[in-house]
Amino acid sequence: MILVNEEPLNWHAGMTVRDILRVRNYRFPMLVIHVNDVLVAKADYDTTTVPDGAVVKVIHLISGG
Amino acid sequence: MKQLVIDFQKCDAGRNCNHECEMECAVKVFKVDDPAQAALQIKAYEDGGGKAVLCDQCGDCIVVCPSEALKRNKLGVVMIDKQLCVGCYMCIGFCEKDAFMRNPDWIVPHKCTSCGVCVKVCPHGALSIQDVPEPAVRII
Amino acid sequence: MSQLVFDPSKVMDIDYTKRTEYLDQLEALRAGMRTVKEVPFQPSLPDKGYTNRTLYVNVGSLEVTEKPVTQQMKDVFIGGRGFGLYHLWNAVKPTTRWNDPENEIVISPGPVAGMTQYAGTGKSLVVSLSPQTDIPIDSNVGGFYGPLLKFSGFDALELQGKAEKDIILFIDGVKGLIRVEEVAGGPEDSHVLAELLTHLYAEGEKDLPNVSVVSTGAAAAHSLIGMLNFSFYDRRRKCVRFKQAGRGGIGTVFRDKRIRALVVRGPKVAGDLNHPVDPETIAKTGIKYHKEIRENDGGQCMMRRNGTAHIVEIMDAYDLLPVHNFQYGSHPEVHKIDSSYWQQRCTQHTVDGCWYGCSMACAKGADGLVLKTGPYKGDMVTVDGPEYENAAGLGSNCGVFDPDYLLELNFYCDTYGICTITYGTLTAFVMECYQRGILNKERTGGLEMTWGNAEADLEMMHRMARGEGFGKIAGLGVKKMKEYFIQQGWGDPQLINDIGMENKGLEYSQYMSKESLAQQGGYALTNKGPQHDEAWLIFMDMVNKQIPTFEDKAEALYYFPLFRTWFGLNGFCKLPWNDVVPANNSEQPEAHKVPEHVQNYVDLFSATTGVKIDKEDLIMQSARVYNFQRVFNIRMGKGLRLHDAAPYRSLGPVTKEEYESRAERYDQQIITEMGLDPAGKSTEEKMAMHRKWRTDRFSKLMDSVYTRRGWTLDGVPTLARLQELGLDAFPEVVDVVKQHL
Repeated sequence: MILVNEEPLNWHAGMTVRDILRVRNYRFPMLVIHVNDVLVAKADYDTTTVPDGAVVKVIHLISGG
Repeated sequence: MKQLVIDFQKCDAGRNCNHECEMECAVKVFKVDDPAQAALQIKAYEDGGGKAVLCDQCGDCIVVCPSEALKRNKLGVVMIDKQLCVGCYMCIGFCEKDAFMRNPDWIVPHKCTSCGVCVKVCPHGALSIQDVPEPAVRII
Repeated sequence: MSQLVFDPSKVMDIDYTKRTEYLDQLEALRAGMRTVKEVPFQPSLPDKGYTNRTLYVNVGSLEVTEKPVTQQMKDVFIGGRGFGLYHLWNAVKPTTRWNDPENEIVISPGPVAGMTQYAGTGKSLVVSLSPQTDIPIDSNVGGFYGPLLKFSGFDALELQGKAEKDIILFIDGVKGLIRVEEVAGGPEDSHVLAELLTHLYAEGEKDLPNVSVVSTGAAAAHSLIGMLNFSFYDRRRKCVRFKQAGRGGIGTVFRDKRIRALVVRGPKVAGDLNHPVDPETIAKTGIKYHKEIRENDGGQCMMRRNGTAHIVEIMDAYDLLPVHNFQYGSHPEVHKIDSSYWQQRCTQHTVDGCWYGCSMACAKGADGLVLKTGPYKGDMVTVDGPEYENAAGLGSNCGVFDPDYLLELNFYCDTYGICTITYGTLTAFVMECYQRGILNKERTGGLEMTWGNAEADLEMMHRMARGEGFGKIAGLGVKKMKEYFIQQGWGDPQLINDIGMENKGLEYSQYMSKESLAQQGGYALTNKGPQHDEAWLIFMDMVNKQIPTFEDKAEALYYFPLFRTWFGLNGFCKLPWNDVVPANNSEQPEAHKVPEHVQNYVDLFSATTGVKIDKEDLIMQSARVYNFQRVFNIRMGKGLRLHDAAPYRSLGPVTKEEYESRAERYDQQIITEMGLDPAGKSTEEKMAMHRKWRTDRFSKLMDSVYTRRGWTLDGVPTLARLQELGLDAFPEVVDVVKQHL
């Protein structure tokens, strides 16, 4: 189990940041993502794996008119 | 279209010359004594070789110019109309080759127009004006 | 997560230079015009962003006067919306209403406006007493009028009085003359009128970009929701296009004053007309920003491809897109009107900024639309947009998912001079009333206002433009429709009040605030009414969980409305602030504020005016005007806690269907948030539990926000707050507040 934006999410081995975005349907393009307080660059979403028990913050910036 | 081309087999990036090309451009074209204002800039790499910052007349700037100040002339060279330019510098910001220049004393930006004054003064004969096909207009 | 990829091969092949022209009506228009006043003036360019004078025109008495801009005006009100509110305050009394002659329309571009090196710098702010809210409305609009007005010699234009016949006010900033012309006959609707006037006043083809027209359309005269179109000449399309000062019915005031159009002819624009103190900083900041757009926009919001419509599918994915009058947050047909469609339908290989130097270029244009209905049936037109608000308001909120009809609705809103946001929200309300039997075919005069019936929707708009039947009733806006329906005894008053999405008399813009308490405040605890230009906090609050406590939310509702007010003081657009971010933005503390861009704004202001500020000063500049506007509302008999009340649809589920569509979430909240047990309770009982919880916490939010803003719990700025802001220098302001302390 991990925490994503304060809410629990089932964890599986090899889970990447991209997997989290897919499961949560986080489609917004301007995100700031921290896994256990470490910033993950956009280029690394596919390759960064998330450990069990991680605290993940997916901060959506603001846009639109 | 006419394009200024530099041959780095011949150009030694200023190691054995006085950047005559830049000086000639600055003095003859822009009437300033400062080679930093030239429309081509030759930079030497520390480990040998070098690169030139110059306009290849790709035309991306024509697409982004809001005042239609940039157009190709009969030779296919991208020219700026100073009367139409509103000094927005989108041409500078959107140039992937950093070839659009700005002199802080002028409002209108400038760039290489393939005029060829630099070609004649290069001691190594590294510069030439060549006729190349015009690239397709891109959506920028 | 799938980032939309732009595929140039899918862009529809539409000739963007082709459209119906109306220039054959030019001679008839000219023949109906008669000069009734002409006065010379000395044109001048700004110095450090200011021309240091404003122009007053009384369209009734034909008085034309110049007024100096004082140092106090610059220090306290900065310009733009600040100047608008200052002039309006001096022009009206507490008893003045929108259609009294002393009401004004003030147009002011702000000191930075007209800069050509940075994105989003051509904005005008329009301020007037609103026919919908009876308090000041302010609207931030692009197009060339504001910058060209300033480059002609004026930091603001005040329009007062009422003409007896239609007039056109022409300011020639090249020749130095101000002319009032009466006009008999001729077109009213913007797309025809502005095309004719642009050609009439330009001196030759090359001069066309130096002319800008402010106009409205037929519906403004018959409704309270009139909007103003500010034109700009599109050199490549060779046509006149518009940006809109939409909210609050300023177009209605315009037509009530019998103003047909304002025309300015300015000097040829160049990069230094503001005469800034530090052009070098402006150039460097602008070029840095243009590069940022080039490098990042394609992988971020794609504003250059889609404009603000890029968030249609985003809002749908997050259950935030208003569907069927804000009942639901997503819809299976949204893909028909999302940005993957619009980037094929909008012309892509041209320049789309509403002022020079806007590299964000969000003003997309859909060319080649052949109209199916109305007085221009069969004409081929260019439609601006649709922006997000149009796609959501005219589209999903009314259940319209046919993109051609959506474009046609957008076109007619524009040319008839009505606000698309307002029209979308009021039509969604009408449609829900129709569905629930509050309205029926008899009451609407035969219009079958079922969800998605675009033909009936368009017919209602045409009737609004003609001032006929139910079109005229709809044109009163949601607040007055609610009163009318209740008075007619057409339905349950509580239901009608709950589902009519207005606050202060202004219709909500197109975001679902139901699941974000902070955004409920972002809409309702505003100066002019529920418009997202003060604060958009849904992601921070609902998705990111960044602002969990009342104090956190209050802080956000302190900072963002003030930060965003500042754009309107200076003539900036909000979009370039956060619709692209620097590549390293995620590494910054407070990334959501986009710190590098905030610093850009600080630098651009200082470099233009020579007044050195920092980011805290920026907030203080806004706070003066924001609190002045709050006091102005109080002076007009509004602006208190009771006027900030929100319709329940914006706070929670009004109907059983809404509750059941999110039953899992709502049941869970009964357990976790209220500490109660939903088991065995009926939907009605659970809805009642929610209503109590949600209205209570909204009330607590009001307490927290008012306290953070330095207001009493009744929403009145305290004397201490006014002193802190230096507003105690205005005895009239202090007098207004004293009556409520």
